[in-house]
Amino acid sequence: MNIPLSSTTQTRLRHLLPHLRGQGKAFVWGFCLLAATNLTATTIPYIMKLATEALMNPGNGMLKLWVGLLVGLALANAFFRIHSRIRIFGIGRDVEYALRKQYHTKLLSLDAPFFDQEKTGELASRGSADVSAVRMLVGPGFLQIFNLFMVALTTIPVMLALDPLLTLLALAPIPVVLGISRLLTRRMYRLSRVVADRFGALSGFIQEAVAGIAVIRSHAREADWNARFRTEARILCQASLEHSRLQSLFAPMVLFAGSLGGWIILAHGGYQVAQGRLTMGDFVAFSGYLAMLIWPTVGFGWILTVMQRGLAALDRISGVLDAQPFLESSLASAVETGPRWSGALSIRDLHFAHQPGLPVLRGITMEIQPGSLIGLAGKVGSGKSALLHVLARLYPVPTGTIFMDQRDLATIPEVELRRNLAMAPQESFLFSAPLIQNLSLSDNNREEVWKALSLAALDEEVRALPKGLDTLIGERGITLSGGQRQRAALARALVTNPVILLLDDVFSHVDARTEEIILNNIRTLTRTRTVVMVCHRVAALRQADWVCLLDAGQIVATGRHETLLETTPLYRELRDTMTRAEALEALAR
Amino acid sequence: MMPAVTSETEETRYGVFLDFKLMARFLGYTRPHRRWVVLALLVPPVAALSQFAQPLVIQMAVDRHIVTGDMAGFPMLLAALIGLNLLQFITGTLQFAVNSLLGHRVVRDLRQELFAHLMTLDAGFYARNASGTLTNRVAHDAEAVSQMVSAGLVNLVGDVLLLIAVATGMVLLSPHLSLVVLALLPLVILVAFRVTHRMRLVQRHGTLLQSRMAARITEEAEGRDVIRLFHRGGAAAAHFDALNRPHRENADKSNFLEAFQFSFVEGSSTILVALLFLYGGWLMAEDQLTIGVLTAFIDSVRRLFFPIRDLAGKFTTMQSAMSALERIFALMDTPSAVVDAVSVNHAPKQTQARGEIRYCGVQFAYGEEVVLSDIDLTIRPGERVAVVGPTGAGKSSLIKLLNRTYDPGLGRVEVDGIPVNQIPLVELRRRIGVVQQETFLFAGSIADNLGLFDVSVTRERIQRAAEETGAMSFIQALPKGLDSVLAERGNNLSSGQRQLLGITRIFIFNPPILVMDEATSSVDAASERLIQSALERLMADRTSMVIAHRLSTIRHVDRIVVLSKGRIVEEGTHQELLECQGLFAKLYSLQFQSTS
Repeated sequence: MNIPLSSTTQTRLRHLLPHLRGQGKAFVWGFCLLAATNLTATTIPYIMKLATEALMNPGNGMLKLWVGLLVGLALANAFFRIHSRIRIFGIGRDVEYALRKQYHTKLLSLDAPFFDQEKTGELASRGSADVSAVRMLVGPGFLQIFNLFMVALTTIPVMLALDPLLTLLALAPIPVVLGISRLLTRRMYRLSRVVADRFGALSGFIQEAVAGIAVIRSHAREADWNARFRTEARILCQASLEHSRLQSLFAPMVLFAGSLGGWIILAHGGYQVAQGRLTMGDFVAFSGYLAMLIWPTVGFGWILTVMQRGLAALDRISGVLDAQPFLESSLASAVETGPRWSGALSIRDLHFAHQPGLPVLRGITMEIQPGSLIGLAGKVGSGKSALLHVLARLYPVPTGTIFMDQRDLATIPEVELRRNLAMAPQESFLFSAPLIQNLSLSDNNREEVWKALSLAALDEEVRALPKGLDTLIGERGITLSGGQRQRAALARALVTNPVILLLDDVFSHVDARTEEIILNNIRTLTRTRTVVMVCHRVAALRQADWVCLLDAGQIVATGRHETLLETTPLYRELRDTMTRAEALEALAR
Repeated sequence: MMPAVTSETEETRYGVFLDFKLMARFLGYTRPHRRWVVLALLVPPVAALSQFAQPLVIQMAVDRHIVTGDMAGFPMLLAALIGLNLLQFITGTLQFAVNSLLGHRVVRDLRQELFAHLMTLDAGFYARNASGTLTNRVAHDAEAVSQMVSAGLVNLVGDVLLLIAVATGMVLLSPHLSLVVLALLPLVILVAFRVTHRMRLVQRHGTLLQSRMAARITEEAEGRDVIRLFHRGGAAAAHFDALNRPHRENADKSNFLEAFQFSFVEGSSTILVALLFLYGGWLMAEDQLTIGVLTAFIDSVRRLFFPIRDLAGKFTTMQSAMSALERIFALMDTPSAVVDAVSVNHAPKQTQARGEIRYCGVQFAYGEEVVLSDIDLTIRPGERVAVVGPTGAGKSSLIKLLNRTYDPGLGRVEVDGIPVNQIPLVELRRRIGVVQQETFLFAGSIADNLGLFDVSVTRERIQRAAEETGAMSFIQALPKGLDSVLAERGNNLSSGQRQLLGITRIFIFNPPILVMDEATSSVDAASERLIQSALERLMADRTSMVIAHRLSTIRHVDRIVVLSKGRIVEEGTHQELLECQGLFAKLYSLQFQSTS
């Protein structure tokens, strides 16, 4: 397709045009079929005219021929119409499919800093509603525009040939129809946004009232909330009414404009026929052509609004498609596999900030021997989690600061990194999918999955699930408890048998005894593994080869648990808080 | 925003086309809008008449004037025709406008009633039902019913009337030709309905797949760390494609059905016209038909087919509305487990609200799990009592029974000597002020949240209370003071500040009984002191029941009750309990070891 476009339009369409390139054949076919549809549709009123004339002069025997032709044309028209629509709308659907796929793939390539800035709901609505709006721009948009052109191109010449003056008179309402359609659809679109907003406000109000029902109840404020809801419902009702008032004008107005044309034909053409300057058949045909022109005109007015929306949606999608991930694509796509790492980890003067001016890590330096268990301790916000996130390269890593097996983390290919390093993040996020899909990428290493589950002390509970490893979890399946989720997330990190394992406070919902069992499992069964973990119980700190105490993004002390207890007051304070919480926890059982 | 419906469940079911019992009940809601109903019923016949008359006028114009060449009465007919067109325009607009007015108003009333009912339901109900489902009932289901009224119900009557009117006109014009039409019509209607229904199902499946894709994107955005850490990009793309591809394929079906439905009605009307020509030609040869009648008849066929397409669409609208209506009424019929007793005397009691609390042999269970048993406890007016015990001992349930969030299984709870179920709920709850573990804040300004949108609460009262609790100091620091609008759930405030607002709320409403449910447990040490002193001031001259996690907060109470596993195990003053070396002493030593 080579459609001359202005440069700004071309820029706006930069993400759409590539998807249209392979569709040339479909376009040609679609428009041939559309032409055939219109050709047959235009012929029908003409045959009706001939049939009417045959009726007026009975005995020439042509009537049966015209009737047969009419039936044939009706069938052909239906056939062409169905197929032209399938072809042309199919293009829109193909574009929708491809664009959605491209959008999703792009999202997968983007990293944490991008997501930190975007609202999740926005990203989802771009991927669903906005992509569909672009489809409307391509499929129905093109169809309506070409349809109007074709209908006009076929009917108007015939009408002009029959009677130029009558044609002009009959077409007089058409620009009015277009104007009304454009005006009304634009205002209706605007009002429908208002209605959607009001509806959202009403839903939000209900949701909030349900969430805060305890407060409403305990203060006996039901009457006030009823009054507030009545206002919300009234506002929505008014907005909806305003919208439907416009809507109520739309169809009758178009019909009226159409019948006005018909009336003009009757008023002017009636005299022409009476004076013998026009046949009765011409008269019938004229009415038919006019009827054919009305709806494409309305459709054209509507489609202009749809296209405007589609372009705006495309702009929003382009915003995401143009975003750049920090990870160089050369790293992301490399497939080479080196030898298994030893697990040596070295951090040299690492600084990190989510936002400029607000440092989270300030000059972290650490040397970690292969096979050691390092505990991270510190108050909330001291930078423990951030350190693990940077080590896992979820955030950009400055070159020359982190080395794994003496290689700069910033230059290690993604595949190699993920094979050797695993992390169980704090949130223990699981997808709503069968458990096996959450634990492992492939389905044929169930043995290893079970081994990891047993290390995470979850195997027995999984066996008790209705479908074991294939149990669907999440929104539409079984809800796991917080402790189960944490252990599942831990098992997921263990399945890949990583050399470096990062654990971000993964035992907060697991009881102390189970934590100890799991820690022992990890410790004794995997001497060749380097583990860095954020601890929140004393037992874990005691297990660590050495503990690193963080405060305000800096390392304030390093050493064994016992040593730190003696030397560092901040560490003692932390230990006391932990002990107290653990004792109360024990009493509650 | 609403959680999208992502699976074919109860929510997306199509109901029967018409359920008379549901309809009868629903029609009750139209009673306050009787005048509009009358108008809505009056317009369609006029609209039908205007449509019905047009072909007759055209026929007269053709037969009497155009064909004969006698144009004497022709302008009259033209005037009549344009008048009829105008009438059709006006009635068409009016019909739609009145119907949507009716629909939106009736649904507004229905929503208001439903919400009011929701407000009366007990805590157990809310624990059993997801908030999304409840929101869906009041928002989406009600909307489906609105659709039924504005697009369906009265128009359905109108469409049927129109069909009858046009058909009658046809029979009047020519009984013979009408036979042809009436023979083919049922077939056309049947096919149009089937295709429309199928189309709705396919379209709904498409919407479903699309919202699943949106849900998928949401989930992946939330779990992006996991995807990155475990190199799951490829698998995620495959999963997404497993939704995207069926969505594409479903679209083909939907495209076909849409195109078919459009072409079918169009095509069959042409074929019908062709048959009319054939039969009409034969009738004309027999001199049983004039050309004018045939022209008018063909015009009628077009008018007949328009409502058919319309009618098929409305059929499915009705179906989804019926199932929505069923769910709405089911919710409306759910009784509240906690209601005013029939014998409750709503007349204001003369008895002085002194603030005495008494639990007599109370037993309480959530389903099977017994939470409290054999509770006997009396708190005298003005007394301060603390309830302590390990997590899960049943402390919060004591409060929930007092303000009738729940009713006990056995025994009774009394306030000022009257069983709580004999006191009107509103009065009871206004006598008891509860400071929760966390203060829930609504969308709105700080003043709204303190006065709880009650217009009778004056600005001065709010300000005085905020000064008394010390909340004013941080409120003043906000750009707009009391009128500062809070972020969602008050996220721009610290938990201590939120808690101070909760305490200020109680000061404003000034109840004789004060209950605190671990009011300082989620508060940082700095604000704890501020809150503690606000609570001290609040407790003065009030009966108070304090549930405490940190034992340091209960040194000033008159009496301490120790709960364990749903029973009262120890009771006495701070000193007495420490001396008896029981559970309290153990808890106490745990909390204070190595902190000094």
